[in-house]
Amino acid sequence: MTGPLQATTLPETLSGLLGLNTNDPLQWFLAALIASALVGTLMLTNTALVIWAKRKITAAFTDRIAINRVGPFGLLIIVADAVRLLSKELIVPDEVDRPAYDLAPLVLASSALLGFAVIPMGNGIQIADPETGLAYVFAVASLASLGLVMAGYASNNKYSFLGSLRAVAQNLAYEIPLVLTGVSVVIFAGTLRLSEIVAAQSETLFTLGGLAIPSWYAFVNPFAFVLFMAANLAEVGRNPFDIPEAPNEIVAGYMTEYSSVYFVLLYLGEFIHVFLGAAIVTTLFLGGPAGPVLPGIVWFLIKIWAVFLFTQWTRSAVPRVRIDQLIEIGWKGMLVLSIANLVLTAVIVGVLV
Amino acid sequence: MSNPWIAIGALALVGILIPLGMMSVSKLLRPRVPEQGKTSTYESGEIPTGDTRIRFNIQYYMVALLFVVFDIETVLIFPWTVIYRSALENGVSLMEILAPMLVFIGVLVVGLGWAWRNGAVKWVRSPRAASERRTKQ
Repeated sequence: MTGPLQATTLPETLSGLLGLNTNDPLQWFLAALIASALVGTLMLTNTALVIWAKRKITAAFTDRIAINRVGPFGLLIIVADAVRLLSKELIVPDEVDRPAYDLAPLVLASSALLGFAVIPMGNGIQIADPETGLAYVFAVASLASLGLVMAGYASNNKYSFLGSLRAVAQNLAYEIPLVLTGVSVVIFAGTLRLSEIVAAQSETLFTLGGLAIPSWYAFVNPFAFVLFMAANLAEVGRNPFDIPEAPNEIVAGYMTEYSSVYFVLLYLGEFIHVFLGAAIVTTLFLGGPAGPVLPGIVWFLIKIWAVFLFTQWTRSAVPRVRIDQLIEIGWKGMLVLSIANLVLTAVIVGVLV
Repeated sequence: MSNPWIAIGALALVGILIPLGMMSVSKLLRPRVPEQGKTSTYESGEIPTGDTRIRFNIQYYMVALLFVVFDIETVLIFPWTVIYRSALENGVSLMEILAPMLVFIGVLVVGLGWAWRNGAVKWVRSPRAASERRTKQ
């Protein structure tokens, strides 16, 4: 069982409520299954909202009105779009590589969902809290590139193929700066367990006019925060790094040949992935679900939507870089900066402690 | 023991069941009208020329090799970052905990600098593309 200091996870709370025995693997699995269904539904609801929010935000940036006909503020367009997309004919092109073509949407959607297992969302909503949480979440988040490669290669389309090759190049460019910047946080927190990383950020950094500023790592190490946000944009494939998709260069990149439910899954998986990236940023740098007055889960949602808004802002405001430029940015800029950040963090912590 | 990995396995199951559920719902809803023209791959409306199962030039091959080296390096840094602070608080001197890792990172930085100078960290233009470019000008 977990120690008294540790926050209890959602399956544990549920087994307490339902009177299930956590020591029995089957009953524990059942409790975890219910918890997973809850968290999965929560995240899918978020991503469904994106269908509406994305258009509204882009419209606001480009001075248009966008959807406002169906329901209040056009919100019912989510239902309409979901039904419309699911009831489209599934067109499978000639000579696609069949198992890979069908598996790619599955890999993309489920791998992104899998990452939420270890994210603490406040109010004890966290499915599992393994000791190696941070390493796990990085590993799962980068599974998505595998899905992109499968989709691009299996489609037998030149645009898709270019898109998947670009996805690999992008993965090569951002992965190391992302992880190196992530572990610079671990130097402060001294643990890979995500709940403890969040707990370490609840101490007061300094008091400003009666307001206690918590020691969120975005305040403690703003340089790492900026670097991580940039690398995260590349990880989730948003502008200026949405090279694998690049709608006005290679049609729709890896998803060119996908229609109907497969397209929905790719689209959905992509946005779950954006939210997973946002959740990692929130957990590592923005104090996780911590915040005044409102309950933790609300703060968590506010923070991940704030990061999502940031990705939408860059989408409207920043031009796309070329793939060779991305490799240079990644290896000559961000890698050097992230190594410098790691060494400096270690030296500063070493001198201060 | 309430093993966290069992809970993660439960989420993996849910994560696969949700897409599968959507696929089956769509299967019930969608029409099926097979026509010959529909199933050709998209190539801006033209008749597709050949397929993509060809030999191609990976222009970031050297970068990919470097990536493998650096990816393993990040794995080796992980345990050091975890123990770093508690080791310092328990009285291990800076020389003992920081210096070896500085040497390790230093070696990698030297390696990166060498690769950079040799032009490994860049988008390689294939010889054929380069010669075609020359003849055009």
